[in-house]
Amino acid sequence: MSVATTGRRPATADGRGRVLPRVTPAILLVLLALTGPYLAAHPLDKPVTAPFAPPGDGAPLGGDQLGRDVLSRLLHGGTALIGSALLVAFVVTLLAALIGCFAVLHPVVGRAVERTADVFILLPPVLGIMLIALAWPGGGRWAVISAATVLGIPYAVRVVAGAAAPLATAGYVEAALARGESVTYTATRELLPNLRGTVLALFGLRFVEAVYVISMAGFLQIGPQPPAADWALMIRENAPGILLNPWAVVAPSLTIALLAISVNLAATSLAPRSARKAVTTP
Amino acid sequence: MLAILIAAVFAAVELLPGDAANATSERGDSAADVAARRHLLGLDRPLWERFADWMTGLPTGDLGTSARGQKVTDLLADPFPNTLLLATVAFVLTAALSLALGCWTAARPGSMTDRIVGHAATSAFAIPEFVVSVGLLIVLSLWTGWLPAVTLTGADGAPATWTMLIMPALALVIPQTGWNTTIVRGALADQAATPHVEAAQLDGLSPHRVIWRHALPGAVPAVATGLATSTGMLLGGAVVVETLFNYPGIGSVLAGAVANRDTPLIAGVVVCAGAAISLVLLAADVIRARVLGASS
Repeated sequence: MSVATTGRRPATADGRGRVLPRVTPAILLVLLALTGPYLAAHPLDKPVTAPFAPPGDGAPLGGDQLGRDVLSRLLHGGTALIGSALLVAFVVTLLAALIGCFAVLHPVVGRAVERTADVFILLPPVLGIMLIALAWPGGGRWAVISAATVLGIPYAVRVVAGAAAPLATAGYVEAALARGESVTYTATRELLPNLRGTVLALFGLRFVEAVYVISMAGFLQIGPQPPAADWALMIRENAPGILLNPWAVVAPSLTIALLAISVNLAATSLAPRSARKAVTTP
Repeated sequence: MLAILIAAVFAAVELLPGDAANATSERGDSAADVAARRHLLGLDRPLWERFADWMTGLPTGDLGTSARGQKVTDLLADPFPNTLLLATVAFVLTAALSLALGCWTAARPGSMTDRIVGHAATSAFAIPEFVVSVGLLIVLSLWTGWLPAVTLTGADGAPATWTMLIMPALALVIPQTGWNTTIVRGALADQAATPHVEAAQLDGLSPHRVIWRHALPGAVPAVATGLATSTGMLLGGAVVVETLFNYPGIGSVLAGAVANRDTPLIAGVVVCAGAAISLVLLAADVIRARVLGASS
């Protein structure tokens, strides 16, 4: 797609009315997960039923491997996951947007970014998380958060640079540079405002990716430690009792799946048509 | 590329606090015992010296010794082929399914089918593999009882029967098929706008023939790249899925290595995985170059 050299692109008339219903489920789910701890009926670590008790009185979803109430743990288990994922997505998007814009205006930075992204492609995110979390004992959740951030940046920078490349040769950017504006000014004042749609969609998709990576780490017992309630950890802990009380495993699986799908839907509906192809998660 | 990655891995593990001698020491070991272990494992030598040792051993297939004093190659000899088998099966299935789905929807652009498959594909890719595994367990083991929930190993450490592969492989295939279907569909849509494909359509050829004979060859580079990026996701996902299904692969080895802060062992796994991914990326580059008729 060639950008007209008239400066600012008009906002995409992508049917604003169709965006709202697609964004609502994600927002509702995030709000529910954040307010969940206040709705829980039982404390986190108090056994109220027999281990792996089927759903019954007082425990609508039955008990887990220690007889704790699955529903209460479910309501508690999303806060940390969503909080960390939001943090990771925010930091990655912010840094990637800045570095990406500089990379386009600065060939040296651009080449460095390409090389780093090439190296990181060879490292599956799970292994990367393991390495960082393991080399930082006691890091817990922060180790996972920083690992997810570091591993997410190279690819995100590539996406931003890819979207910014056609703009960098647009008239207004060249005009700004010719006026003698600094690279910093041009990147933040001329390039970034025109990448709004891309950056917004990137944020949504980085959030999905962060949920993926952080829950993966939780499942591998890196990060949140028992007796903390965490959806991914619940799946891991209760897997042996899947035959006795399937809900202990199915409920957290459903919440993670719903979260991922709804945020993904919201992110793709927010992306402008031009950016939809460029912004894909690795 | 691989060398840079390995150096980075090594540095990351060394620069952060704690080391293998502490992690593998038993309760009640005195400081002197830990120091002795450290000497035994060569952890008291300077970092660059250990790194040089390890790097020079690589070309000869020597991955060094693990923190527990066993050869890393021996530790990985049995599980790694199992993981490769699982990942390869998943890779082949992913390629076949995503090509089929991509072509099937491209033949009906804008139809209901196209939209449903498109949404299903992006949703499938967003779900972590272990969540997909739980879904498969519920449906295939719990409700229907078709498949065993746990992989049993035969005498030689390999999965006892091939049916054990079905669920772990499916858990890997579903998200990756979602990802690659989107890529195939997008590449075919791009091709559909090119003059030679439009000409073929105007000549009145059937949609399937147009896609197979005219659009698909041009879409090959993009599809090959997409599949190559899936390799890393497949290997990474395999580690997680293996723990859930007790599949005898590197997943269990890694879990132990994480607990013991076993740098050489983890580095060894990263080398093997990185090498496998490099090979696939190289193959994708070769395919791209052959199709484009120019070496890129």
